[in-house]
Amino acid sequence: MLDLRLPAGLFFLAVGLILTVSGLVNPSNIAPLTPVNVNLYAGVVMLVFGTVLLVLARRSKA
Amino acid sequence: MNLAFVDYFILALYFLFVIGIGWRLRGQSSTSSDFLTSGHSMPVWITSLAFLAANLGAQEVIGMCASGAKYGIMTSHFYWIGAIPAMLFIGVFMMPFYYGSRARSVPEYLRLRFDEKTRGLNAITFAVMTIFSSGISMYALGILLQTVLNWSFTASVLLSAGIVLLYTYLGGLRSAIYNEVLQFFLIVIGFSPLAIMSLYKAGGWSGIQQRLPQVMTHSWQGLSDSSLNPMGVEIFGLIAGLGFVLSFGYWCTDFLVVQRAMAADSMGAARRTPIMAAFPKMIMPFIVILPGLAAVALAQAGSGYVLPVKGNGYDYDKVLTTLMAQFYPSGMLGVGLTALMASFMSGMAGNVTAFNTVFTYDIYQGYIRKSAPDSHYLTVARITTLVGTILSVLTAYLAQRYNNIMDLLQLVFGFVNAPLFATFLLGMFWKRTTANGAFYGLLSGTGAAALVHGLTVAEGKGGWIETVHTFPSTMAQNFWIAIFAWSTCFLMTILVSFVTKPRLESELHGLVYGLTKIPHDASVVWYKRPIPLAGIVVGVLILLNVWFR
Repeated sequence: MLDLRLPAGLFFLAVGLILTVSGLVNPSNIAPLTPVNVNLYAGVVMLVFGTVLLVLARRSKA
Repeated sequence: MNLAFVDYFILALYFLFVIGIGWRLRGQSSTSSDFLTSGHSMPVWITSLAFLAANLGAQEVIGMCASGAKYGIMTSHFYWIGAIPAMLFIGVFMMPFYYGSRARSVPEYLRLRFDEKTRGLNAITFAVMTIFSSGISMYALGILLQTVLNWSFTASVLLSAGIVLLYTYLGGLRSAIYNEVLQFFLIVIGFSPLAIMSLYKAGGWSGIQQRLPQVMTHSWQGLSDSSLNPMGVEIFGLIAGLGFVLSFGYWCTDFLVVQRAMAADSMGAARRTPIMAAFPKMIMPFIVILPGLAAVALAQAGSGYVLPVKGNGYDYDKVLTTLMAQFYPSGMLGVGLTALMASFMSGMAGNVTAFNTVFTYDIYQGYIRKSAPDSHYLTVARITTLVGTILSVLTAYLAQRYNNIMDLLQLVFGFVNAPLFATFLLGMFWKRTTANGAFYGLLSGTGAAALVHGLTVAEGKGGWIETVHTFPSTMAQNFWIAIFAWSTCFLMTILVSFVTKPRLESELHGLVYGLTKIPHDASVVWYKRPIPLAGIVVGVLILLNVWFR
């Protein structure tokens, strides 16, 4: 049966990549109420989360 | 709120993934039980997150943020004295009977324990109610997207319903549950940056405390009298009405959530499902309620954030989306919007999968065609998925046109639901309870609920017989209706049970306390046992309530 961590991990890896890249390329893209580069930070968190899910899925398969 | 290309791209990516998960699971439902109950195959971490996500609809997320802005930290009672104790109770005490009876649904448990008419009453009201609540939340989503993003109502309703239909049709309950877990992750990741940033901007918890009135930052203050707190409730109504009757009635008897636990791969996993779910559930107020409080503080601080208005008052339902527009740049805004869509879809998929199971097993197999080969019921289940979705969409349009009918229906369903927990409590823990006791107990409880509503008034609602009492808020009225309905059902069930003939004990094995083998788990490691886990939850719960008192 499909291991859920695989598609979930891939999804967050993909979204994390989009956000991280857009945060790096366009750091001036910020929201009205905060000076924080939200895309960059949230993107990195998602990259980490996605990777953890994929590693777990891989380890349980091995 | 303006979306950029990247936002649409993230939303589309999410749609692709949920449909992809359904597609990958498409071939795995060869029996009706695979399709409708996932063949009892799910590990506990999946069932517990799905248990949580199925309840976490878009209305819940938007509504909790709105209540946070309107009532303050008192809203946490819906979690900390509402949901959590009930979740622990079903895991520790009730799951052995649900899972052990091998019933495929909650109404089916009622047939095994009581009789056909009690099952029929529960199955039919549940099926109708499920379609309506799915339609109403679809309507709420459509209206929200219309006002916030200028999307067409029809387009957002059809698109979101179509995607849910596609993945539930392909993979059944398994696909719904898998996607609910993905949706849960997305909800947490999509909304928690908002909570963190709005809290930080508002000067942290102490900043919020300085700007807001005391009662809004203390969950147990002003409860001695209903005039002293913004919800207009007092402590007995809150604890007995919300904490006991309504919460236990929902979390312990509503098939939508119970179905997730019943999908677990073992009795132990089924019992742990709601208890494991209680851990993230305790944290949810920080993600969904706190931004509401922060929004009020930000508006008062003159930070540039303004509370959304409608007419002469505030439009609290828009607090979440307006906050998102102020704190999320394009990119993260797409993630936030996707999280909102995800919360809607997880709720709707929950409704659709619960509806098709109850319809197929309890209504179709129960009353329309009793014995047919299993492949026939699989086909019926698939068709029901389609029909259920179409009916929800129609209900969404009905809600758009006739809002009053929807209010009335929700009220009536509330009357039917309020006494339910008394029936289950007696049915599971008192073997003398008879079928007629349960059935007439339920009817009298519903009658009592209607009567209390007819005799009391709150905010201009109710009192259609005569006004003998006025409640300060509809919330207080709801709590007290529930208390009366529950008590009437409880007493009536006992009375009728004493004068009617009980069933033979030999017929009640696996259904009632004292005649069911509760699994011995002393040999299992402690963190896999329901009771120690529940103990930890209770400990944290007390700390949270003391902290925010």
